[in-house]
Amino acid sequence: MPALPEYRTRKLLTGEGVPVVEGVFFPAGAGIPEPPPAPPAYVKAQIPGATSRASRGLVRHVTDSEAMSLAMRELLSPGPWGQAEGVLVTSPAELYGEYYAACTLDLGGEGKLPRGVLLFSSEGGSGVEERSDTLLRMPFSLTSPPSEEAIRERLPQLPEPEMVASLLHGMVRAFIRYRLLVLEANPIGVLQDGTPLVIDCRAEYESRAVAKEDRELFTPAGGGHRELLPLEQAVERINEADPSGTGFFRQNRSEPPEDAWRVATNLCGGGGKMLWEMTTGGRDDIYTMNESDTSGGLSAFKSYRILRTILSQEGAHVLLLTGSGMAFQNQHHLAAAVWKALRESPTPLPALLRFGGTDEDLAHGLFDRVSEGLPVAVRHYRAEIFPNAMVEDIPPIAAKEPIRVDPPSLPQGEPTFETEVPPGKFFFFPELCGERPHHLLEACPTGYLTWDADSRTLVPNPESRCTGCLMCETASLLEGNGELRVVLDLPEEVE
Amino acid sequence: MGGILEHLADVEEPRVLVFGITGRQGRSRTRLMRKFGTDIVAGCTPGKGGQEVDGTPVYDSASEAVKAHPELNTAVFYVPAKAARSAASDAMEAGLGFLVLTADGVPTHDAAVLKELSSRKGCRFLGPNTVGLLDTSGYLFGLIGGRASWARKNYLPGSVGVISRSGGLSQLLGAFHCRPNLPGPREDGSFGPLWGEDYPGVSAVVCVGGDPIPGVSIPDAARAFEADPRTKVIAVYGETGTSQENDLARAMESGEISKPVVVFLGGKYTEAGVAQSHAGAMIRNPEEAYGAKRKALEKAGAVVVERPDAVFASTARTLGLRA
Repeated sequence: MPALPEYRTRKLLTGEGVPVVEGVFFPAGAGIPEPPPAPPAYVKAQIPGATSRASRGLVRHVTDSEAMSLAMRELLSPGPWGQAEGVLVTSPAELYGEYYAACTLDLGGEGKLPRGVLLFSSEGGSGVEERSDTLLRMPFSLTSPPSEEAIRERLPQLPEPEMVASLLHGMVRAFIRYRLLVLEANPIGVLQDGTPLVIDCRAEYESRAVAKEDRELFTPAGGGHRELLPLEQAVERINEADPSGTGFFRQNRSEPPEDAWRVATNLCGGGGKMLWEMTTGGRDDIYTMNESDTSGGLSAFKSYRILRTILSQEGAHVLLLTGSGMAFQNQHHLAAAVWKALRESPTPLPALLRFGGTDEDLAHGLFDRVSEGLPVAVRHYRAEIFPNAMVEDIPPIAAKEPIRVDPPSLPQGEPTFETEVPPGKFFFFPELCGERPHHLLEACPTGYLTWDADSRTLVPNPESRCTGCLMCETASLLEGNGELRVVLDLPEEVE
Repeated sequence: MGGILEHLADVEEPRVLVFGITGRQGRSRTRLMRKFGTDIVAGCTPGKGGQEVDGTPVYDSASEAVKAHPELNTAVFYVPAKAARSAASDAMEAGLGFLVLTADGVPTHDAAVLKELSSRKGCRFLGPNTVGLLDTSGYLFGLIGGRASWARKNYLPGSVGVISRSGGLSQLLGAFHCRPNLPGPREDGSFGPLWGEDYPGVSAVVCVGGDPIPGVSIPDAARAFEADPRTKVIAVYGETGTSQENDLARAMESGEISKPVVVFLGGKYTEAGVAQSHAGAMIRNPEEAYGAKRKALEKAGAVVVERPDAVFASTARTLGLRA
């Protein structure tokens, strides 16, 4: 789950009135501030999800200017920990005690409703959850969370229980407001007068739970997607331009074993991913280049774009694609996208393709017809054949040497018309077309394409909508003279 | 009509209110449901009350729809994930007994809130992140089937009850049980037709969805199939994360589930704490890992297989079918 580093978690807490130790954030990339912050202070690298920061040297207690400069320089630069988002410089506080507090989500189960859980201990520090016998567990309803008084009543004997209850109530509010999975304050320092304040904190969240108006709070300093590789960022941009369905893509960060078959994958849904994992998880002769999930009714335009991204990974030997499990996604449209990607990519891969579901016969019919003309070998499989059988065909088809081809040139210039969502450019060449192009009009499942006999051109029907199925271009290439071409722009990393 | 919903949510004749009926997906899926035989009574889209979609009246809220059509008892939602909580709460408040939440990406907090509300209101919801439910007695909810003609051709009445946490696999486990002469790996290691023209067929397919907090869980659906006289064997796709498979094993051990259960269990190589395609598959404690689940299910008497195509040979044997 995505994690928030301390400086961003502090914003969530202070927004709910939770007191935190004084601190200033300095983003990476902005250089070392002049003059540097005054010592003494704690300088803390801000890395989402980082644990054991003190023992890894990511938290420095500095007492003089020289140490401050050194700490700022080191922690603002890339290191074994990667690139921190920045550093948080906090003032030392004289503490007379430490508490621990957290909010988590109990998912429930048979006979047990899901609940929030407030944890509190009058001992702070790492590992407190395991070693503290004073850990208070307070389950609470997300629809009617506990009042400050109710929290107060559950607390053990403390110097300033009202102030602690107020702090914990603020944590519960932040937990619910931002729909967090974990919100932890450890330690909560106790000042001489008993006042509690948060010294260190962190949070885990779900991207899907972040409200539009809160996005800035959950975005790293300097912008989003920092943790993503360039091709992954490209897919995120494809998703932003065409939000239909699911388009997920992550590359494998581990080193491929020598001699392993490097398989670029395009899988469908969580089930498709799990089938692949069950097939290859125990094998060291197959290295999965990437995770992917294209499902949920995405357009063929988007399938094409994501597949082009998958094909552009360096070092892959073969592509393995599984269509929908059954029936949800039109397999003919998907097959059209796959055909387009394999013929237009400068780095096509030998491909093992499984189509199952609506119009699967048409998908297989398409590849029966076009496979010969592709620059790479293709095998396509019926839905009854699962990845556990398909992988046996990898060695005879895979190419360990990179394949580079000059793909056919695509139309340039001003398109005949464009679609916004899903984004596509349509080029119609009347000189290649005889009379009314019946095959194109009949191929369009939504009636979006119409024929203007006077100007002898295709005109989009404003009452209808293009679903980005690629059936028109497929018909143009197979039934006509290539009079209609669809150009789908790609992110520059893929181009 | 009855079918699985009678046992799952005490709904004998589903009369459906479609949320998001005026949207592209809502409109097309409503046609799919209706063509398959589902009784679509009304639609609901805030701000679009008074309109009609393919002859179906649209209301601004569930309570308005229920006032006009008191026979409504089921709701299907084609609304964005961020709107699922408020739309489903509206339906629960209006007294609808069974809800199907298709949206993927519903925040876990929202699912937790809906679980609490549904418990209070005495209703049940399927999902979130589900392709829905199909009953071969003549109704479907959600996205399952893709197209009515395809659904009619591929999901045929029979004796297998299918439960799955994956949309694709729920459709696949359902449809393949309805294919005459289905080829596949046999239990003796050979490969070939698993049965002849006399296929097993399905009573219903229930996709419980892939999220961490499912409304209807695997054991809930299994209990419904236990009570369903058409169902002779229960085929399940389960995976790591959540306690659903462990709870199913407990229900089997206690005798609540006595019908044969075949489970394709995914996640053998899933590591704890690693995010999965299905948000619900993340392992949060050792009981949610593959090994613990497999052990519990086998101890309870379930047949657990490691590949999807092995399910069919096992159900065929249970039903006494041969090629």
